[in-house]
Amino acid sequence: MVEKGFVCSLTGVSVQIFYDEGKINVLNETQLWAIFDGTIVTLEIAIVAIIFGAVFGVVVALGRLSKNKAANALSWFYIWFFRGTPMLLQLFIIYYAIPIIYLDATGATFTVNPMIAAFVAFSLNATAYLAEIIRAAIESIDGGQMEASKALGMSYRQAMTKIIIPQTYKRLVAPLGNELIMLLKDTSLVSTIALFDLLRTTKTMASATGSWIYYIYAAAIYLFLTTIIQVVFDKMEKKLGIYER
Amino acid sequence: MSMVKLVNVRKSFGDLEVLKGINLEVLQGEVVCIIGASGSGKSTMLRCLNQLERISDGEIYIEDVLSDKRANNKDQMKIDPVTVQSLCADLGMVFQSFNLFPHLTVIDNVTIAPLIVKKIDRKIAETRALDLLSMVGLSEKKDEYPSRLSGGQQQRVAIARALAMDPKIMMFDEPTSALDPELVGEVLATMRQLAEKGMTMLIVTHEIGFAREVADRVIFMDGGVICEEGTPEEVLLNPKEERTKSFLNKIL
Repeated sequence: MVEKGFVCSLTGVSVQIFYDEGKINVLNETQLWAIFDGTIVTLEIAIVAIIFGAVFGVVVALGRLSKNKAANALSWFYIWFFRGTPMLLQLFIIYYAIPIIYLDATGATFTVNPMIAAFVAFSLNATAYLAEIIRAAIESIDGGQMEASKALGMSYRQAMTKIIIPQTYKRLVAPLGNELIMLLKDTSLVSTIALFDLLRTTKTMASATGSWIYYIYAAAIYLFLTTIIQVVFDKMEKKLGIYER
Repeated sequence: MSMVKLVNVRKSFGDLEVLKGINLEVLQGEVVCIIGASGSGKSTMLRCLNQLERISDGEIYIEDVLSDKRANNKDQMKIDPVTVQSLCADLGMVFQSFNLFPHLTVIDNVTIAPLIVKKIDRKIAETRALDLLSMVGLSEKKDEYPSRLSGGQQQRVAIARALAMDPKIMMFDEPTSALDPELVGEVLATMRQLAEKGMTMLIVTHEIGFAREVADRVIFMDGGVICEEGTPEEVLLNPKEERTKSFLNKIL
């Protein structure tokens, strides 16, 4: 076995790729960039979805907790739909179904940019899951906190934004990290709407060359990314819990 | 001057009637202690006053202004919530379980309501908070989080927090019941200090000795009604009602 090394810097770490003489499974520069681009697609979708999901998740969670019947019903319906149907179906509805509906309704053609479709679908889906996580976190805060806030003259909104929600941050970190890791892996579904994410890129290479090593590369990159998330979120959780002794 | 007045107040939770027609008036500067067995409606009465609970029937006046009037759970007056909020802001409340805000330091616990509700300047709020913390003897703990304080210290911070809103009446809902016996004294001392300053106080308590010492008037509640009221001597030393006698016998 001849060891020929190929070192490159990918998302901040060096990845050294070894290969046997007989088989062509070294990453040439084109492949390397393709994998890099795929990783970026994967990351972009996960990050956009987690940010959008966290912000709108708060809104939907407050809707679920609201005494307003319309807000309550609307957010219930939202969570019911987006948690209750497959992610892949939601992606298909946005990417394939909406242009057809538009065509039927207006007679004009309309194409959805696949990246935008992925952003929208993953964000809508993450919102539903995060809304439930946030609602549970808010409900886990002792009722005495809201009472004390009201007794001090705060409005519901003031009590929520200054007292209740800040206390949920620490409790949200772990499930938020979990959701981000799930999202990162679930982005592989976008291969079905003509996007080249990390998994599809490596799978294409594997099929083209007949080598399994590309799957190992993909696994290594997924693990590398999820490890970072895990470490960062662990640190965040410790930092946010500083007031608990 | 009348500070709070309850007229024929009733409160039901579903089929359970907790207050069965309460009439009570507290005058300016008065210290009123409310005693009675658990389930007699003492805490509910306080919670109805600042509208943490809504009454089912009756009228509530705060400083002679109607703050709530209901009949059969129906709001009779539809008083503007902003008006209600400003009336209730004159009622400070101290809870049995302290309910300090755990994510805020001691001084932030005291300043947050003045800052966001009254929107006063941070400098002024902090100066006032430090005064109040030194009054309750905790100015050196100002940068600690509540979890680092003992129960007695937490309750004293809670008193300072309520005082920071400049309430005209302070309500205490069993303020020492959650405390270890050796920590009760420091909280009672703080409350005594407030009483001496002329604060109008409404105190639900099981500390009979404290009630005898500081109260102008003692109220004994039983089964959702005011069973007996009068000076501490009348109610605590020479009770007329059988129910008062048997309650005092049980706890003394």
